[in-house]
Amino acid sequence: MTFSNPIRVGRQSAIRVFAHEYRDATLPEQGSGEYDPGFMVTRLGAKINRALIAGTIDSSERRESESGQSFRFNLIDVTGTHRVEVSPFNPELHPEAEEIHARFERGDRFIMMVVGKQRSFTTEDGGVFTSYNAQEMREINSQIYAEWLAETADATLRRIDAYEKALTAEQSMAGFRGAGIPEDLVDGMLLSRAHYPDFESEVYMLDVLQALNAALGRSVEIVNRSPEPVPSNPVVEEKPPQNIVSENGSAMSLDDLIISTIAAGDRGEGVDYDAIIRECSVHGHSRQDAEDAIDSLRAVGGRISEHKFGWFRLTEV
Amino acid sequence: MSDGKYDTEVKLVLQEVSNADPAEVAKEFERYENEFLIPPRDALRSVVRKFMEPGSDADKTVSQPAIVAKKVSRFSELGSNDRNVSIEVLVSSYNSRLQQVRGEERQIGFGFIEDSPWEGERTKWEYKDWGNKAQDLLPNSIVRLEGVSVNEWNGKKSININQTSRVSVLKEGSGTPSVPTSEPITIEQASKGESTVTVVARVLSVKPDQIIRRDGSGSIDVVRGRVGDQTGSIGFLSWKALEVKEGDLVKIENAQVKRFRETPEINIGDYTKIEPYHDRAFPTKDDIQQESKSTIMNLRDGMRDVEIELQVVDWTVRSFTTKDGESREVRSGEVQDPSGRCRLTSWAKVDLIPGSFIKIQNARVQAWQGSPDLVTDGPDQIEVLEKAPFGPIDSSNHWVTEDLDVLTSGGSRRGISTSGRIVSVRSDSGIILRCTKEGCRRVLRDGMCGEHGEVEGSEDLRLMMVIDSGVSNASLLVSREPAESVIGESFQEITERIRTSGREPFMSELKERFLGHRVTVNGRSINDDRGCMIQAESLVVSETIPVEIAESVIERWGVVL
Repeated sequence: MTFSNPIRVGRQSAIRVFAHEYRDATLPEQGSGEYDPGFMVTRLGAKINRALIAGTIDSSERRESESGQSFRFNLIDVTGTHRVEVSPFNPELHPEAEEIHARFERGDRFIMMVVGKQRSFTTEDGGVFTSYNAQEMREINSQIYAEWLAETADATLRRIDAYEKALTAEQSMAGFRGAGIPEDLVDGMLLSRAHYPDFESEVYMLDVLQALNAALGRSVEIVNRSPEPVPSNPVVEEKPPQNIVSENGSAMSLDDLIISTIAAGDRGEGVDYDAIIRECSVHGHSRQDAEDAIDSLRAVGGRISEHKFGWFRLTEV
Repeated sequence: MSDGKYDTEVKLVLQEVSNADPAEVAKEFERYENEFLIPPRDALRSVVRKFMEPGSDADKTVSQPAIVAKKVSRFSELGSNDRNVSIEVLVSSYNSRLQQVRGEERQIGFGFIEDSPWEGERTKWEYKDWGNKAQDLLPNSIVRLEGVSVNEWNGKKSININQTSRVSVLKEGSGTPSVPTSEPITIEQASKGESTVTVVARVLSVKPDQIIRRDGSGSIDVVRGRVGDQTGSIGFLSWKALEVKEGDLVKIENAQVKRFRETPEINIGDYTKIEPYHDRAFPTKDDIQQESKSTIMNLRDGMRDVEIELQVVDWTVRSFTTKDGESREVRSGEVQDPSGRCRLTSWAKVDLIPGSFIKIQNARVQAWQGSPDLVTDGPDQIEVLEKAPFGPIDSSNHWVTEDLDVLTSGGSRRGISTSGRIVSVRSDSGIILRCTKEGCRRVLRDGMCGEHGEVEGSEDLRLMMVIDSGVSNASLLVSREPAESVIGESFQEITERIRTSGREPFMSELKERFLGHRVTVNGRSINDDRGCMIQAESLVVSETIPVEIAESVIERWGVVL
C-alpha cells in the first residue's frame, strides 16, 4: 500500500523542457540505491527525472513483447521530437494509449501533453538515446499547448541564463551559488559543465524564439539567423566532430557539413532529417538551402541514402 | 481557407505520395499551422508521413542505462583497504578545525556520516574531510561520495574524503558550514546552521529560568534571553550564571548554535567566553527591537520572544475541564497582518474585539496541525493599539499570493494563494470512507483505520492531486466543500453518479477537468519532512492565457523577437 500514501516522499518536479534540449542530452546520472531516482542531465544543466512535455502526435506504434504490450508515440514540438513510451508495466495507461493509437491510425492528428519519466539507452560506443516513460497523458487544445510553449521557453531561458553565469563562475557549488545560479540548477550545472564541452547557448535561444512566436500566434520560421558560421558544437555529442570545421578553421561547404553530420551522428540507425536540418541552421544555412542540399546529395550525387523515411546514412564511408 | 497558400508544400507532398488528395493535404497544412502552431515548412515531413501508408518506423530498442560503477550502499560492504569507493550517505554533522599539515595550516573537516540515507537501518561512521568540501557537506544533506577511501585505526574504520574525491549533493542540507574562527559573524549567519560561533550582539532581554530534569532528579538554573544585531535577533540559553543586563553590548565567543524544532538558539556553556564590547556605532536595543518585529509569514515552530502587530478577525472563549477536574478557560481566535493569517491563543483572560489592532510581546510559536500559531500566557503580553499599524485588510478575501517555490521551501503558512499546473490526479480521489470513531477522521484503507482497525466508516469526498511549477511541487488536497464547488455538483449528486455509472467515468472526468491545467488555489500549506502539502479552501482552474504568459516571459528575460 505504500504507493497510496497521500504524500509522496521527495517527488521530483516535472521539468519543462523542449524536445531539442532533451535529445541533445548524453549524461545519465543514476544513484546507487535501488530506489534512487535516475536523471538525465542536459547541456543547460536541467537534471531531469520527470518532465512535462507536449507536442503534436507524429507517429504511433503498438508493440508486443514477452513482457506484454507497449506503445510508442512521437510528439513534435517546435524544436524536435519527443519520444514517449507507454510501457507494459503501466497498464493503467493502456486503454488511453490504445485509443490514441487507433485515432492516429485513422489519420487523426492532435496535440498531447505527457508527464514522463526520463529513460535512456547507452550504446556500446557511448551514444545515448533519450526517451520518456509516460506516467500521465492526455490530449490538449492548442491554447494549453501555447501556454506550455511559453512556460517551457521561460524555463529554458532560466537555464540559458544560468549557463551563461556558470561559464564565468568558479566551478563549485559555492561559486555557482555566488554567481546567482538558482538552487535547483546548481547540481545539474556542475555535472553538465564537467561532462559537456563548451557550446554557444544560441542553439537553444532559437528554440525559445520559435516557441514564443508560436505562443503569440505568429507562425514564423527562424532560419539563417547568423550569417557567420558558428564553429563546432554539433548537436550530436560523444563522437568528436572532427570534420565539422576543416583544418585551417574555415567553414566547409554545406554538402560536407551534411555528410560530416551524418558521419558523426550515425550509430546504426542513421541520422534523422530534423537533426541534419538543425545542424545546418546552427552553422548558418537556411532550411531551404539545407533541404535542397540533402535532396541533391541523395538524388544526384548518391552520397547519402534515405534507407528509411526521414533517416539518412552515408552510402560511401 | 486561403486558396493556394500551401501550393508549394502540397506539391512537395505529392512528389512523395502521388495518390494523396491535394485539397486534403492543403487542409492538413492549414491545421498544422493554425492548430498545432507548426509552420508549413516544418510540418512538411509530418504531413508526408501522414499521407503515406501506415507502416512501422521502428526505433531502436531503448532500455535502462547499463552503466557499471564501483559502488557500495552500506559501510558493512567496505574493507579496511578499500580505495576509490562510491557511496551515498547522510551527513549527520560537520565540524572543522585548523591543523598543521606538512607545515601548512589547513582546515580539516570531521564528523559523522550515515549509510543507507534513503531508507532502512543506518550505520554511523566517522569521516574526515581533507579536501575542503565543507560547502557540500552541510548537516542533514544526502550526498554521493566518489573516490573516497577507508581508513582503519585501532580496529575502527572511518571514511577519508580526499582532495580528489567528488561530493555530489543529492538532497540539500540546512545551514552553512562551520568555520573554525573567532572572527564574529552576524546573527543572520549564525542562525542558519548548527555550529560553533562567535557573535557581537546587544542583549535585548535576559531573565533567570529553570529547567526541570525529566527524570525528576531536580532542576538546573539557567539564563534565557535574546540578543541581536542589525541583521536580526536570536534567543540564547546559558547554562552558567551571566553578568549581563539588557542593553549591554557583548562579544560571545565559542558558543554553540543548536536548533529546537525549527528555531535556532545560542547555547552558552563552560567554554563560552563573554566579554563587554565597545562600538559606538552599534544599533541600540530599541533600534534592533524595532527591526526584529515579526510578521505572520516569518513565524516558525518553536520561536520565542515574538513581537508582532496584528488585527483580530474573531475571538472566542472556550472552557474545558483539565485532567485534575479543574475548570479552565482558553481564548483564541484568528488574527491577520498584511503577510498572512494565523491563530492566536491566550491563556490569560483577555477579551478582544474583532477588527481591533493589537501588539503582542514575548509570544511563543507552537505548531498545530502543521501551521505555526501564536501563544501568549500573561495578560500583559497583549496590548490593544489605538492606531492601526497597517492599512485595512479585507478578512473575507485576505489571501497572500505566494510562489509555489517559496511555499515548498519555507515554513507552513495559512491564508495563502498560489498557482501551478496539475501533473497528476491521483486514483484515491473521489468518494472515500472515513473512520467514525470520535475525534478520528482517518481515511480507511480496505475498510481499516490505521488507528482503530476495522470500522464502519462514513463516506466523504476529496480530491488528491499534484501541483507543479517546474521547479517545485506539492500534494494538493481538496476536501469536500471546495471539491463540490469546483466540480459544480453536490456530494450526494457525485455519490449517486458513481453508484450508477461507476468510478471510471468520474475519474476520467476529473483528469479531463484538471490534468495539465493551471490552477489557482487558496488555502494553507503544510511543510514537514515528507514534503509540502497544500490544503485547498477553494480552487479554480485558471483561464488559458498563452499570450499573456508569453509576453511576461519576453519582458522578464528581455527577449527580442
